[in-house]
Amino acid sequence: MWQRRAFLRAAGVGFVASLLPAQTEALERADMVVASAIRTGTGHYGAALVSERGEVVSKLVLPDRGHDIVFAPDGGRGVVFARQPGTFAVVFDPAGNAAPLTLTSAAGRHFYGHGVFSPDGRLLYATESDFEAAKGVIGVYDGTSNYRRIGEFPTYGTGPHELLLMGDGKTLVIANGGIETHPDYGRAELNLESMDPSIVFVDTESGSLIGQVRLDAGLRQLSIRHMAIDGRQRVWFGCQYKGDQTDQPQLIGYATLDGVIELVELPGDLLSDLRNYIGSVAVSTDGGMIGISSPVGNLAVTIDAASRKPAVIKSIRNGCGLAPQGTGFVASSGNGELLGLAGSKVADQTFDFGFDNHLAVLA
Amino acid sequence: MRLILALILLAMAAPVMAQEGKLLPPNAEAAKYPLVTRSSVLERAVDQVIRPAFQNFKDKADALTVAVDGLCAAPSTPNLDGAKLAFADVVDAYSRVEFFKIGPLGQDNRAERIFFWPDRKGIGLRQVQQLLAEHDAAATTPEGLASKSVAVQGLGALEYALYGTGSDALNDNDGSFRCQFGLAIAKNMAGIGADLVADWMAPDGIASHLMAPREDYADYRTEIEALEELVGIMSHGMEAIRDTRLLPFIGREGSAKPKLAPFWRSGLTMAAVQANIEGLQKLFDQSQIADAVGPTDMGLKASTEFEFSNAFRATDLVTSPIDEAATTPKQLSALNYLVIVTQSLQTLFGEQLSAALSLSVGFSALDGD
Repeated sequence: MWQRRAFLRAAGVGFVASLLPAQTEALERADMVVASAIRTGTGHYGAALVSERGEVVSKLVLPDRGHDIVFAPDGGRGVVFARQPGTFAVVFDPAGNAAPLTLTSAAGRHFYGHGVFSPDGRLLYATESDFEAAKGVIGVYDGTSNYRRIGEFPTYGTGPHELLLMGDGKTLVIANGGIETHPDYGRAELNLESMDPSIVFVDTESGSLIGQVRLDAGLRQLSIRHMAIDGRQRVWFGCQYKGDQTDQPQLIGYATLDGVIELVELPGDLLSDLRNYIGSVAVSTDGGMIGISSPVGNLAVTIDAASRKPAVIKSIRNGCGLAPQGTGFVASSGNGELLGLAGSKVADQTFDFGFDNHLAVLA
Repeated sequence: MRLILALILLAMAAPVMAQEGKLLPPNAEAAKYPLVTRSSVLERAVDQVIRPAFQNFKDKADALTVAVDGLCAAPSTPNLDGAKLAFADVVDAYSRVEFFKIGPLGQDNRAERIFFWPDRKGIGLRQVQQLLAEHDAAATTPEGLASKSVAVQGLGALEYALYGTGSDALNDNDGSFRCQFGLAIAKNMAGIGADLVADWMAPDGIASHLMAPREDYADYRTEIEALEELVGIMSHGMEAIRDTRLLPFIGREGSAKPKLAPFWRSGLTMAAVQANIEGLQKLFDQSQIADAVGPTDMGLKASTEFEFSNAFRATDLVTSPIDEAATTPKQLSALNYLVIVTQSLQTLFGEQLSAALSLSVGFSALDGD
């Protein structure tokens, strides 16, 4: 991992400093632009912005595998985070008017691949690991000062993964996956026998814990990883099970600021097909539909938030990325497919690179 | 001389790795002309590799139980040596199956109970020392042991009993409690070994599902899924060897930490790593998985064999006890070279073999986050 940091310094990160005219045009006429970390056919890593028509608006070269991308509310900046336990995050200008800026994680910290902007776009919050202490932290970066790291606060758990901002604009919700890793041991999971996953609500101003919810004690090997917030401010979450392969726990549920945490019961056949693994969770733009994906089960599923029943079940080979569009979703796959789901107008198309786990919408 | 050889190996490997950085596209055409069918690959993997390897582990664990029982009944230096030899056999046997962590080995914390590793904070050592100091009687029966921390139930704990501070007592009657603790561990592992064999032999168990996948099975519905499991074992196994066996003790820039090496007390570190690699090589070879690819990818087999042979040349160069090897330039360079080879093999399996079989192992699906 530390070699990676040195490599970054030496090689820098390239380059969408300016878009070609055709790309600028594509960006301007696009109804929708989605972004994802990618892997190219030659095995290189990067990020790509593509329009709903299948045009590649721009690409960014990354030194190693990326994970999620997050955009500032005004769309003026995007950030792609290294996949855990990576040490870089690249801030870029989707319009291509500014050179990318590479952030390096603080000493003793690495990124987990997810972040979120404050409502005014000034602050960037990222899930990180204080790996010697095996504790999660939120790194706080100042967007008005070249994304200088200005502080951190705890996630009150181990192995934080996705984080989101609640509708009040000041409460962060963080999924503590519960899994301890250490860069000396790569991605090896070091505490499967003593995991303690949770969802926490944290005040962004003070960093204090507002609430922490856990599933039943019998489900401590159910790692809570990804989340999305519905129209009623329920935080839907998706899990990855680290216990016996023969077990079949429920994998999705929701939590609220009032301290509710509930698993949502999916039918046995569907649950079995999800292979104990949810890779992404999204909520449709209208807030009424939940999208979940399982790249292991090659499946994307939409669930009606009100009735909690599955609506659309779509087989997508190696599919993981989900981004909201209207009442439905755009889905992406590691095999380079982009397609619309449940009312999305996006037509099926295939690119010559593979999409990584997450798909983000450029506002 | 050894350094020169290591450098030559490195130089030889470089162009191959560069060439193989190219990701081959899934070859749908190729599937029409396979030399070896996918189902025959699955059958051979289970019948000729996985099942016999677990049987071997059980047999060696049984033999260890007999040897430690003999030591406890008649403490002596020869009997202690016999127990140590039997221990080495179990380490070897387990190292050949430990990355077959699908189904039975992934259940009931069996893998952790047999070998709790990595143990970054030294939990196992602390717990074993405490248990030995307190003469905790519950730790002298396999049943009592099974209810304790996974870190005191398996190979790490038994290694400390046989080789750690105070193990001299096993030469005579002073070591009675320690020996009974060791016997409980051996019996515990033999019990888990018997369960593993029974599960792999069960008529409607994982083996039959993996060999002949069916849409209505919960675990393996298609041959693609079953093959992904096999390729995943090889790819993730290489990753684990590198990240959890080699890199932690090699350290960065001359800061070797030999006591973070698995089995440093018994001097079995490299023997275990070699057996790890041999176990995966056997799965690769005997399943003939690389023959199930299309004509354009037939070269993958030779590339992979070449990297395996590089790996073994590197392990052969590490001849000293691990604390010495990790601080001796020539042997350290062989260890660092081995790190590169495991990376190369991981890429060969997770990306190239995976793509050649139209699987998706190395990216997204089985390597998610």
